[in-house]
Amino acid sequence: MSDDQSKLLVALQDLDQMIREAEDKDKAAELKDLGFALDGVEELRKAREKITERITPQLLNRYQRVATSYGRTVVPVVGELCTGCFAKVPSSFRYEKDTVTTCENCGRMLYFT
Amino acid sequence: MTFQELASYFVEPLCIFDLKATSKRDALAEMVTTMCEHGGLKDRDIILEMLLNRESLGSTAIGKGVAFPHGRTLAARDLSVVFARSQAGVNFDAVDKEPTHLFFLIIAPPQDRDSIYLQALGKVVDLIKEDDTRNEILAAANFDEFCSIIGREAK
Repeated sequence: MSDDQSKLLVALQDLDQMIREAEDKDKAAELKDLGFALDGVEELRKAREKITERITPQLLNRYQRVATSYGRTVVPVVGELCTGCFAKVPSSFRYEKDTVTTCENCGRMLYFT
Repeated sequence: MTFQELASYFVEPLCIFDLKATSKRDALAEMVTTMCEHGGLKDRDIILEMLLNRESLGSTAIGKGVAFPHGRTLAARDLSVVFARSQAGVNFDAVDKEPTHLFFLIIAPPQDRDSIYLQALGKVVDLIKEDDTRNEILAAANFDEFCSIIGREAK
């Protein structure tokens, strides 16, 4: 994966969700019942560490701060709305490589699908 | 989720009847590329990375020649399913160490409150547990035959 900071933040959030679900007893039990092994949480933690090393400390700090408040830091923009708080995202805001765009209303980081 | 609802997720452009890849990484990459090219998704790298991470949690090849790569990612807008078949088989680190021939790749967005994703995964696993069904899917000549096998379960 490239070092595009916004994409790394999405990958980090995906990974955090995967770790949470693997550690959630109910969800893990459901997957184990289907026949899936979930023994590699430690591998996921190593992968997380590798991703965080590629994210700037300022962004990582912001990611963790927003995650503490909202659970999910990065949210998709759908129909020009931030799907975190449903505030309108100015049409001038769009995906730009190496630029992390933030919702002016809630501060979540925006992912342009 | 019913089998009928599950069947609606299989669309011809997202079915690969002759997977070329022979390694796990290449197989996932080939399926994700198909998903992005024909399923209107971008950020192939993010989806691939998520699936590779999922495999490091534990192989999704649960034996009998079948694998169910799956996971949630922000790069997915809706539940999306790719079916792939490899006649030669792929070393997918299956629990029974046998090559994997049938793949059902399922991705879903993170905000899936009704857990449609887990329901779909459960239905696919259920669908494929019979030896006869697996053998028929292995032998299906085209998408229509594949659909008729899935459709039969829906009745």
